[in-house]
Amino acid sequence: METMNPKAILETRNLTKVFPGVIALDDVSLSLNAGEVLGLVGENGAGKSTLMKLLSGVYAPTRGEIYFSGRKAQFRNPKDALDAGISIVYQELNLIPHLSVAENVFINRLPRRGAFVDWAKLYRDTRSILSDSGMDGIDPKAIVADLPIGVKQSVEIAKALSYKAKVLLLDEPTSSLTGPEIENLFSVIRRLREMGIGIIYVSHHLDEIFQVTQRVHVLRDGKTVVVVPTVEADEEFLVSKMVGRDIKNIYYKGQHTPQEVVLQAEGLSDNLLKNVSFKLRKSEVVGVYGLLGSGRTELLKAMVGARPLKKGTVKVRGKVAKLRHPLDAIKTGIVYSSEDRKGENLFFGNPIWKNITYLAIQVGRFTKNGFTLPRQERRAAADFAAKLNVKAPSIDVDVYNLSGGNQQKVCLAKALIEDPEIVLLDEPTRGIDVGAKLEIYRLIADLAAEGRAVVFVSSELPEVIGCADRVYTMSEGRITAELTGDEITEENVLKYCLQVDAAGEATT
Amino acid sequence: MKLSKTLLSSSEFIVFLGLLAIGAFFAFMSPVFMTKFNLLNILLQSSIQGIIAIGMTFVILTAGIDLSVGSVVALSGVLMALMLHGGVPVWLVILINLVFGVAVGLFHGFSITKIGMAPFIVTLATMAMARGLTMVFSDGKTIFDFPPAFEFFGSGNIGPISVAIIIFLLYAFVAEMLLRSTVLGRNIYAVGSNIKAAALSGIRTRWVLYFVYVVSGISCAIAGLVLTGRLGAAMPTAATGYELDAIAAVIIGGASLMGGKGTIIGTIIGVLLIGVINNGMNLLNVPPFWQSFLKGAVIFLAVMIDSLKNKQSEV
Ligand SMILES: Nc1ncnc2c1ncn2[C@@H]1O[C@H](COP(=O)(O)OP(=O)(O)OP(=O)(O)O)[C@@H](O)[C@H]1O
Ligand SMILES: [Mg+2]
Repeated sequence: METMNPKAILETRNLTKVFPGVIALDDVSLSLNAGEVLGLVGENGAGKSTLMKLLSGVYAPTRGEIYFSGRKAQFRNPKDALDAGISIVYQELNLIPHLSVAENVFINRLPRRGAFVDWAKLYRDTRSILSDSGMDGIDPKAIVADLPIGVKQSVEIAKALSYKAKVLLLDEPTSSLTGPEIENLFSVIRRLREMGIGIIYVSHHLDEIFQVTQRVHVLRDGKTVVVVPTVEADEEFLVSKMVGRDIKNIYYKGQHTPQEVVLQAEGLSDNLLKNVSFKLRKSEVVGVYGLLGSGRTELLKAMVGARPLKKGTVKVRGKVAKLRHPLDAIKTGIVYSSEDRKGENLFFGNPIWKNITYLAIQVGRFTKNGFTLPRQERRAAADFAAKLNVKAPSIDVDVYNLSGGNQQKVCLAKALIEDPEIVLLDEPTRGIDVGAKLEIYRLIADLAAEGRAVVFVSSELPEVIGCADRVYTMSEGRITAELTGDEITEENVLKYCLQVDAAGEATT
Repeated sequence: MKLSKTLLSSSEFIVFLGLLAIGAFFAFMSPVFMTKFNLLNILLQSSIQGIIAIGMTFVILTAGIDLSVGSVVALSGVLMALMLHGGVPVWLVILINLVFGVAVGLFHGFSITKIGMAPFIVTLATMAMARGLTMVFSDGKTIFDFPPAFEFFGSGNIGPISVAIIIFLLYAFVAEMLLRSTVLGRNIYAVGSNIKAAALSGIRTRWVLYFVYVVSGISCAIAGLVLTGRLGAAMPTAATGYELDAIAAVIIGGASLMGGKGTIIGTIIGVLLIGVINNGMNLLNVPPFWQSFLKGAVIFLAVMIDSLKNKQSEV
C-alpha cells in the first residue's frame, strides 16, 4: 500500500467520526513524520480528542483510513494500537486509584518470576522510567489515589513513555502540570524526537505549541482549517484560524475596588499546610500561584471544611466559622470548585443539567420542602450553560460525552449558579480554549464587580498576573509572599514560589 | 419523538419487553398462566421479594450491597413471633419490628461510614449473625399461632386485592417518589456516581449512606411482617437465599453494581420477571434442579444484554 507522504509514519485519510447528533471529526487528513512533533489545536469540541482516540484504537472511524508505517491500520482496541507502536496520554486520567504508581505504569505487563510478581524488578524498572523522564521525586510505591492530580498526570506520561512506542499521542499532557514538570516533559520530548519518534501534541497553551512543535494542524468544528510549519505561524494567526475570527488575548482586570475582608484564615496547619494565613476582600480577585505540591488546592479545601485542620481558624465576615463540611461553607456563602473534574467535580452518567444544579439544590435552590423542581432547574441550567457557551446538543446529554473544555464549563456553572458571595476556583480555565478563557476572565471580573470575592488558583502565570488584584505565592505548604499592584510581575511570582519562607519555617 | 427514543433505549424498557416475551411464552405453553387468579398469585409472591429488592435498590445505587436481607427477614419474623407469644400487643410488635429494622441499618451505616468497613464484608457478617440469632431464639423450631390482626398484613384482603400487594405497591410508590423527586433521592444517585464530588458539592455523604442501609433494614422488617403473616408461621430457615434474588432483580432492572444507576420501576420489573419465571416453570412442571439452572441463565442473559448495550454506547 502506498502512502501520500513517504516520510510519514502516521497518516489519516478522510477520517470521519460521527456520534449521535454530532459530527465530531469531519474528513480529516493528517500526516505525522518520524522525528516530528505535530501540534494539534482547536477550540473546545473541535475534535482533537476524538482524533487522538481514533488513532489509538479507542474509537473505530465512521469513515476514512489510518496508515501506520506505510500500511493500512485497523485497530480494534487500544491494545492493538499499543502493540503496533502507538502510545497515548489521554486528556482524562486513566490510572487505577488503589494501585501503586509502579503497578499502574506496568499494568498488564507486570514483571514476573515464575507465577509471582517480581516486585523488586517492578520497583527498579519504574524508578528508572521515572528518572528517565525527570520525575525522580515520585515514589513508585505510592498509592495513586493519594497523589495530587498533577503528579497523577506525570505518572500517566511516564506510563505512556515506558512503552517505547514509535508514535506518542499527548492529549493536553500539561493541563495539571506546573513550570518545572512542563520543562521536564519538553526535554523528554526533544530526546524522543532525536530518536525518530513521532509525536502529536494537543494543547490550548499556544506558547507550548511554539516551543515544542515543528508543524501545527488546526481543527475547527471537526474539519481541518490549515496545516502550517510552526515557524510561519504566530499566536494571532493560530487563534484566528481556531475561532474563525480575530481575538486579542488580553487579560481582564475589571473595574472594582476591594472592600472589607470577608474571608480570613489564620494559622492553618494540617499534614501539608504550615501556618497559612490568608485574606480575601469583597470585590476582590486574589490569585494563588504555586507549583505542584505547594498546597494551593489543600488551602482552598481546608477553608471550606473539606480537609480536617490540625490548627487554625477560618473567619467569615469577621466571625469565626466552624466549617466541618463543604455544606457548612456553602451555607455561609463559600463555594469551592475542584480542579479535578473527573475525580472530584462532575457526576458522569448524569445529564448536564443535573450536574449544574447538584450543588445549588443542597441549599434549597430549585427545591420546595425537599422536593426538586426540575422545570426550574432545567431552565436555570440551560441559561447558565448558554451563558458559558457550553457546546452540546442539549442539556440532557451525559457530561461524560462532552469534550474536556466543555466539561470544565459545566464545573464553573455548577459553582456559580448557587450565587455564592465567595468563590474559590481551582484551575477554572484548565483545558479551556482561548476564546472561552477570555469569557471566563470577564466572568471573574464581573463577579468581583458585583461585590463578590474570588480566589483564582491557576498554573498559568500570565492569567494569574493578568486577572488578580493581589497574588499569594505558595511553596511546600506555606505562603511565601503576598504581592500587590506593581509587585505582581512574572519574575517576582516565580522567585517566591520557588522559595521557602524562612519566617514560616521558624514559627512551626 | 425524543421521549420515545429515550424510552426505547432505557434499560427498563428492554427488560419490560423481556418480561412480556417470557410472559407470552408461558401463556402459550400453559392455559392457566393468564388467568386472573394466577396473575394475582404472581404479584402476591413477588410482593415480599419486591419489598426487599426496593431496599436493595437504595443500597446498590450508592455502590453498596446488603447481603444480610434474607437473614434479617427471618430474624424479624422470629422476634415478632416470640413477642406475640409473650403477650405484646400487635401494634407494639409491629412498631418494635420496624425499630429493629432501623437498628440493623444503623449498625451497617456505622460500620461502613465510621469504621470504614466494606459493605460486602459487614453485611456478610450480619447475614451469618442474624441467621444464627434466628436459630438461637427459635431453638431451630417453627413458631405458629398468631392473632388474626397480625396475620392480616400477610394474608388479609382489602376488597379483592391482598394486603401484601397493597403494601408492596404503596411502598414502591413512596420509594419511587423519593428517588425521583426529592433532593435526598438525587443525593443518593450522586453518592453512587462520584462520592468525592458529592461531598465537595455539599452532600453529607455519610448521612446518605446511613439512610440507604436504614431503608434496607426497614424493608426487611416490612418483608418479615408480610412473610410471617402470610405463612402464619415464623420459620428459622425462612427467606434463605433472598439476598441473591433481590440483587438479581435490581441488576436485571438496569442498576449497576458500580452505583449511580437504577430505578425502582426497573427493580419491580426485575422482580416480576423472576416471579414470572418461577411461576411459569412451576406450571410447566419443570424439575426443581432445572428451575434453578434456568433462572440463573435468564438472569445472566438479562444482565448480558444490558452490559453489551452499555459497552456499545461508551466504547
Ligand atoms: N463519546 C461521545 N459521545 C457523544 N459525543 C461525543 C463523544 N465524544 C466526543 N463527543 C462530541 O464530539 C465533539 C468533539 O469532542 P472532542 O472531545 O474531540 O473535542 P476536543 O477538541 O478534544 O475539545 P477539548 O478542547 O474541550 O478537549 C464534541 O462536540 C463532543 O461533545
Ligand atoms: Mg479534548
